[in-house]
Amino acid sequence: MATSEEIAEAYADWRARSNENERLKKMVRGWDRRVHLSTTDTAEGYTLEVRDQVLSQLYPGHVGQPDLIVTGSSEDFCDMFWGDLNPSAKYMSGEITLAGSQEDVMRLDAISMVAFLDQ
Amino acid sequence: MAEWGRECDVVVVGAGLAGLSAARHLVRSGLDVVVVEARDRVGGRSWSDTTSSGVVVDRGGQWLGPTQDHLAALAEEFGVVTFPTFISGEAVELRDGSRFTYTGLIPTSDSAAAAEGIEAILDLDLAGLEVPLDAPWEAEGAGGLDGQTLGTWLDEHLRSPRARGIIDVAIEAIFGAGPREMSLLFALFYLHAGGGLTNLARTTGGAQERRFVGGTQQLAIGLAAELEGRIEFGTPVDAVTHSPEQVVVTSSRAEDGAPHRSVKARRAVIALPPALSVRFDWSPPLPWLRDQLSMRMPMGSVTKLHALYPEPFWRDDGLNGQLISPNGVLGSTFDDSPPDGSHGRLVGFIAADKCRHLERAGRDTLRAAALEELERAFGPRAAEPTEIVEQHWSAEEFTRGGPVAICVPGALTGFGPSLRQPVGAVHWAGTETATRWCGYLDGAISSGLRAADEVLEALGNEPVQAEAGRATRGDL
Repeated sequence: MATSEEIAEAYADWRARSNENERLKKMVRGWDRRVHLSTTDTAEGYTLEVRDQVLSQLYPGHVGQPDLIVTGSSEDFCDMFWGDLNPSAKYMSGEITLAGSQEDVMRLDAISMVAFLDQ
Repeated sequence: MAEWGRECDVVVVGAGLAGLSAARHLVRSGLDVVVVEARDRVGGRSWSDTTSSGVVVDRGGQWLGPTQDHLAALAEEFGVVTFPTFISGEAVELRDGSRFTYTGLIPTSDSAAAAEGIEAILDLDLAGLEVPLDAPWEAEGAGGLDGQTLGTWLDEHLRSPRARGIIDVAIEAIFGAGPREMSLLFALFYLHAGGGLTNLARTTGGAQERRFVGGTQQLAIGLAAELEGRIEFGTPVDAVTHSPEQVVVTSSRAEDGAPHRSVKARRAVIALPPALSVRFDWSPPLPWLRDQLSMRMPMGSVTKLHALYPEPFWRDDGLNGQLISPNGVLGSTFDDSPPDGSHGRLVGFIAADKCRHLERAGRDTLRAAALEELERAFGPRAAEPTEIVEQHWSAEEFTRGGPVAICVPGALTGFGPSLRQPVGAVHWAGTETATRWCGYLDGAISSGLRAADEVLEALGNEPVQAEAGRATRGDL
């Protein structure tokens, strides 16, 4: 189980890398969305946003109405943000799930895979 | 047995899942129906066969994925148990003479190539969402999309040959045809109809998520049970005479030696791939738009190969049985073992040009090349299966290819509206006519129900309200 602080630290690293990745910036062009993260093993929830091709900081709690909800264990979120875990493998095993419109799920699915591959 | 020479309300040609779904719906709605089937079995491209060692393998369609609600509903109705495809462990990539293992959707040995591939797949999937499922020819820019192949689009959007190799092999397995053979508009429609290329390639969460204990053909057999006495087997149709009020379907080479048989009906449902339906002698000839559409919808080329082993030994090596081999004979494989793992089974696809080239080289060559590739991927035990089952769909007289028909450039924009347009009293079914999960078993079922509804409307009959197997479809 990962603490909120550990997830925030890992996310900050992922955010910094992602915001500098040209391929990712291209993939989120015109795609402003709010994402809720829900952990299956803790009571914590988080919110992040993509605005103008930039990934926001990670906000504690579920803020506002989400476009997408990502559900997984706190450890998996932490490992994914550090770049140690291929999110695609977790989607395929059903351990991380995405909920949202078809287009939004397609985009986040691809974006998270590219963030892992292109680090 | 159905009575030949008498009039019935509707004759259905083809006892695959499309034809059977149509026939059952019509019978339940109170119509007199005869199904004419060329083979001695039901199921069409769904065929669960018992091997010489007594195990059942699906020689045709074999998976169930999320949102394939029609297929899931039939499984539930007939009590056919499904189970998750085995996915624990790593997949294998064979590339440039080297072997790699990976987890996730796409090989990661060249991560930059993989990222480029994912970006291209997203672009394709998002473009697919813009293509109307019921009228792809009305998509914005349809002419330009239909005037090029998926291959030319990939040429333009992918620099990495490795990324291209991975996407090509996925396309070949899905269509039985390479990207250069099919219209981009058709490919985008097809991806949209199945929830995107990512969805079509996936196991969990995608088109290969679950399998059927005892095989998918049980669903066709279940439908046929309700049509007892109405199905004429071993009766390949070779002529159709039609008018707006009547259709006469004739077979001149029935298996029991009868020289000539015919069914006269008020309506017909032709539940076959378009390329097969135009082999009949139509009188009067089909409208040329429909005829030429069929000329532009060739079947894919695929051989499905199952290798059986005493146990699923690859699992002990931490492998999940999945293989991606862009330059190999078997472009892709999956673990096909039974749910209890009582024996091991790998299933692979020899598709598109590889299938054609190896047919010329001979089937011994094909088999040897496939085993050599399995050995390179999964070790020496893979070279010694206890049994091999090959299903050459392209050589099937009454299917002539698989897994599906594709559209060449210009087919959809020039001829697409004729795909489902009835010709007088003749209606069209078959997975190629489906607007959701086109090319899949689920699409076959929905196409049959749609064609049956057309017939009911034309004849002024009310459809039954609670048709089992007709699922409420949510968004893909």
